[in-house]
Amino acid sequence: MVTKPAERPESTGGLIRTLLTNRFSSIVIAVLLSLAATWIVISVMGVEPVRVFSIMLNGSVGSVDAVTQLLQSWVPLVLASSGLLFTFTAGLWNIGMEGQIEMGAIFAYGAIHFLSGTPLSGPLVIIIATFSGMLGGALWAYLVGLLKNYGNVNEIFGGLGFNFIADAVLLFLVYGPWKPAGVAQGSTKMIESQYWLPQLPGSYLSLWALGAAIVGILIVAVVLKGTYFGLKLKAVGKNAKASFMMGIPTSRYMLLSFILCGLFAGLAGSIQVTGFLHVLRNSISGSYGYVGLMVGMLANYQPWVVVPISLVFTALSKGATGLGIDLRLDSNLSGVIQGLLVIFVLLMEGVRNRLSRGSKGISHG
Amino acid sequence: MLLVGPYNDNGWSTATYEGGLYVQAQIPNTEFIYADNVNIASNPNTTAAQFAEQLLQRGAKVIIFNSDDMKDGVSEFSKAHPDVPVIWLSGDYAWKDGQRYQADLTNESDIMGEMEYGKMMAGCAAALTTKTGKIGFLGPLINDETRRLADAAFLGAKYCWENIAEQTTPLEFKVTWIGMWFNIPGVTLDPTQVADDFYTNGYDVVISGIDSTEAVVEANKFQGQGKEVYAVQYDYKDACKVAPKACLGVPYFNWGVALKPMIQSIIDGTYTRQFVWQGPDWKDINNADTSMVGFQKSDGLSADASTKLDQFISELAGGLNLWTGPMNYQDGTVFLKEGETATPQQIWYMPQLLEGMLGDSVAK
Amino acid sequence: MDVELINIHKRFGKVHANNGISLTVKSGTVQGILGENGAGKSTLMKILSGFIQADSGDILLDGKKVTIHSPADSVKLGIGMLHQDPQDFPPMKVVDNLIIGSPMGLFPDRKKIIREFEELQKQFNFSISPETYVDTLTVGERQQLEILRLLWLGAEVLILDEPTTGISASQKDLLFATIRKLAAQGKAILFVSHKLDEVEALCSQVVVFRQGINMGSMTPPYQTDKLVEMMFGKSIVRSENVCEKQEDKSFEIEELRIDDVRLAIRDVNFCIQKGEVIGLAGMEGSGQALILRALAGILRPTGGHIYMIEGADGGRIDLAGKHYFTYRDHGIHFLPAARLEEGLIQGLSLAEHFALAEEQTGFMVDRDQVENLSKKRITDFNIHGTPESRIEELSGGNQQRAELALMRDPLRLLLLEHPTRGLDIESAMYIWGKLKQRCEDGASIVFISSDLDEVIHYSDRILVFYGGKVSPAFEASSVTIDMLGQLIGGKGWS
Repeated sequence: MVTKPAERPESTGGLIRTLLTNRFSSIVIAVLLSLAATWIVISVMGVEPVRVFSIMLNGSVGSVDAVTQLLQSWVPLVLASSGLLFTFTAGLWNIGMEGQIEMGAIFAYGAIHFLSGTPLSGPLVIIIATFSGMLGGALWAYLVGLLKNYGNVNEIFGGLGFNFIADAVLLFLVYGPWKPAGVAQGSTKMIESQYWLPQLPGSYLSLWALGAAIVGILIVAVVLKGTYFGLKLKAVGKNAKASFMMGIPTSRYMLLSFILCGLFAGLAGSIQVTGFLHVLRNSISGSYGYVGLMVGMLANYQPWVVVPISLVFTALSKGATGLGIDLRLDSNLSGVIQGLLVIFVLLMEGVRNRLSRGSKGISHG
Repeated sequence: MLLVGPYNDNGWSTATYEGGLYVQAQIPNTEFIYADNVNIASNPNTTAAQFAEQLLQRGAKVIIFNSDDMKDGVSEFSKAHPDVPVIWLSGDYAWKDGQRYQADLTNESDIMGEMEYGKMMAGCAAALTTKTGKIGFLGPLINDETRRLADAAFLGAKYCWENIAEQTTPLEFKVTWIGMWFNIPGVTLDPTQVADDFYTNGYDVVISGIDSTEAVVEANKFQGQGKEVYAVQYDYKDACKVAPKACLGVPYFNWGVALKPMIQSIIDGTYTRQFVWQGPDWKDINNADTSMVGFQKSDGLSADASTKLDQFISELAGGLNLWTGPMNYQDGTVFLKEGETATPQQIWYMPQLLEGMLGDSVAK
Repeated sequence: MDVELINIHKRFGKVHANNGISLTVKSGTVQGILGENGAGKSTLMKILSGFIQADSGDILLDGKKVTIHSPADSVKLGIGMLHQDPQDFPPMKVVDNLIIGSPMGLFPDRKKIIREFEELQKQFNFSISPETYVDTLTVGERQQLEILRLLWLGAEVLILDEPTTGISASQKDLLFATIRKLAAQGKAILFVSHKLDEVEALCSQVVVFRQGINMGSMTPPYQTDKLVEMMFGKSIVRSENVCEKQEDKSFEIEELRIDDVRLAIRDVNFCIQKGEVIGLAGMEGSGQALILRALAGILRPTGGHIYMIEGADGGRIDLAGKHYFTYRDHGIHFLPAARLEEGLIQGLSLAEHFALAEEQTGFMVDRDQVENLSKKRITDFNIHGTPESRIEELSGGNQQRAELALMRDPLRLLLLEHPTRGLDIESAMYIWGKLKQRCEDGASIVFISSDLDEVIHYSDRILVFYGGKVSPAFEASSVTIDMLGQLIGGKGWS
């Protein structure tokens, strides 16, 4: 039998129940709760919350320059989050995203490093570097997948391990072979400007990068929502055993989800090099992998929802840099707000599940 | 102003920060705003140039970058805003005779102190204090500037060891580079550990070349265990205050001295691009209004050594040039022939450590 | 203590689980209670031990009428029940398990309890250390612990519900010795089982239940045939027919071997004809489930051949050792009993299931086509739901029909685990109707079921399993239910 929709609420209790069980309103409640919690945290720090929020708003969307910075930072995050949708859909936690972004950056920078000075044209080198970066990210993700499939190593531990290795490789390169002549200071020398992604004048924002991000999320949405591949991936994520029984080669699909995710990570990494920093340096992954996991979770694995949520997260971290200048607050406050948001959304998710399960039980009885 | 570290690091960033405050106090109607922790580790997704934009939005009329680490940010920002005066502390883009001269950055000026003199005094204080004849130099990363300063410390120490303390045994001077201006766990050598190794291996004075205070903190710890060891600090006038008895003194910058006239010229509309490399005011090296570089003695320095150090300082003031040949690089090649003195370019772009020093000349 | 149950009735909805059952167990005797699954044995025992209450009827202990409202009541009256699943607390020590179940107040005397426990277990030659943790004990030891606990609480009547499942042969011997000793001490023992040989070996008297009714009792010497007939009802007429015509053959299984941690199955030989239904009968865990999974390609046999006959000339392919997907590609389809674990995917809609099961047409999913297909299948298979219904929102019967609807054509061999378990009669009949249609199209069916009626009713031939041994194939029409009952109970094997 199909369960009937919840009864029309007749009392306030019923209304609250409906609000809590509706997906949209429960997210709104979670956002309000996290704002309230942030308010308390800020008040305890002895600062006026309204000022904090207005500075953050100003810093993220208050000017044309802020908006271009916001979009520039949004590109790698939305790429990371979209890539993670593949692994999330397959029921996997790709903690190794950070390392995959770093590998993407290393491969992209490496391509430019070896091709600069050759007669190849700038745009061609950028294209090669981009694909090389995607290859690097995919390779790194593939290794995690292999370990999971054939070594029986949980992808969370495998991913963490490969993050450390990627870190080590990156540090070795920027302090070693690729360090600028004479100086070792955690960053390579800048790539020649002919190898930069074209940027809007006076900003870091590259329309090419922005375009890549938008195309990326479109691809993810179409693949996950419209193709047999996406449907099978979803099936594997929901129930690998039954999917196998239905004839889906589950381990191959899991590996593919890692590789696809790695391609996106690598793209994010190469854009960090060609479109933003123009160097290879430590921490080039910018924590986009970890934040992307949070975005993916909050978006409940829905591609379209990733767009606004990743924008909000980017706005939070961009807006927070102004806090240091104007209020002498640690910009990590934005991390606190993001964390609270995640916790409250997950909490509301739990409440919603519990309540809707409860009401299902009643209608069966 | 963009500070590479926290404004209260008691080192480089604090010294430049105080320079900003000095200008604000000295020139009416100026306001000093700043962003600190402008580095990769603290703000991975915001570049120095982006921080500069934020200050510009908040009404800043002059942007000061306080670190060599921000070199990319300096050139990017200067190119993007040719109408905004940019001052780069410790930079050299504006030096026509320099190797990194960038002619197109017409709004950009550089300021640096002739810290060589400060480091010579530091080396001298160390040489006058050491009983073992072994001095350690806690180096940051290896580049022209840091080799220059390590060499200067060595020259000061050697001179005072041989000519003032009148020792005949050779002085041992060892440089250990940690890899960065401050400790980054897992990336740099741990400066606490390096200082420890110096003290336990008979190096009873350590000259700090880094921006933080590990050397003197460790010296204080060893003194607590009854060992007679000392450190010389760097950058900031009050850097010895964390442990005055373990500290011989600190060569420091008075950034305000050079910043004030430059800011004033911007206000007056007479600003032109300059490369400022300014030394101490030999009349009074610790005059906060006139001396770009100073040396602040601390409680660790004995009265006798203090007197002899003053003697050395007056010799410097009197025209003593330690950059005089014969002098060889560490690998034995000739740096200066007999009687030859070094040019500013030779000093600024120092390619090696000097003969007689232990430690790496280039990063391995 | 004598136990008397008089005219006990208990209904669960439409099912009359205990229909006027009366039973007397004298002190000092071991009363066997026989019956197939669902005969009403457990219901009666639960009534006696207070887990459920009878709708009507009386319980007399030593001639006195008592009312039992809860397990605690029954414990107070001296009735102890040893459940199929141990009722202990695994992460705790043995002695603490005793303390928890005792009415001793806040500060139990640990030393005294340990002393009493040691004395008690000495009587029965058990050796359980009171200080070990329960989860380190074997199933047999936990059972011993439970018996000791019940005795320590003062049980005079002991109910043992299928106590020999999951314990070793030596533990079984010890258990039987214990039971005999307890009877000699004057306890009344109720021994519930569906294993004829055990009951015959142990009990001083046996009653047989069928469909909630007491079918009669017997004392030694036991006539096994008679007991089986009482358990399963009347016999059915024989007829003949064997797999002989080459053109009808679909599969040949030769010398198939399976080695499992618990079971070694050797040398299984049989053939499967086109359009026939083969039922695999046996107690749970006798090997039939393993064979079924081996035929599906999920479990890799350790030896032997699974030949699929290709074409009229008798050419054949050996599938043994091939990948599960190869089996699927050859039209071999497996329907697991754990529908929501292995068969269907929670969180996906019916339409998504149909899209997954169909032959993939291109890269993109054609929504309209899937929608239409889903609607058609939903109608064809009488599924109460919409294409958008998520699979876990459907009832068990609808899920089962959905599983059938997911099967692709052409189908050579259909392997079913408990195809109608948990379904009402109407759903079960519908399912079998659909399955028989498949047979008419040339598919063969092999299924397992614990419902012997179902096995006999729907099979053409039957293989019986007991402890990993496989009987020759019987014509279903030639097998009587009592024969089958004997065979699955381990009787009549040469």
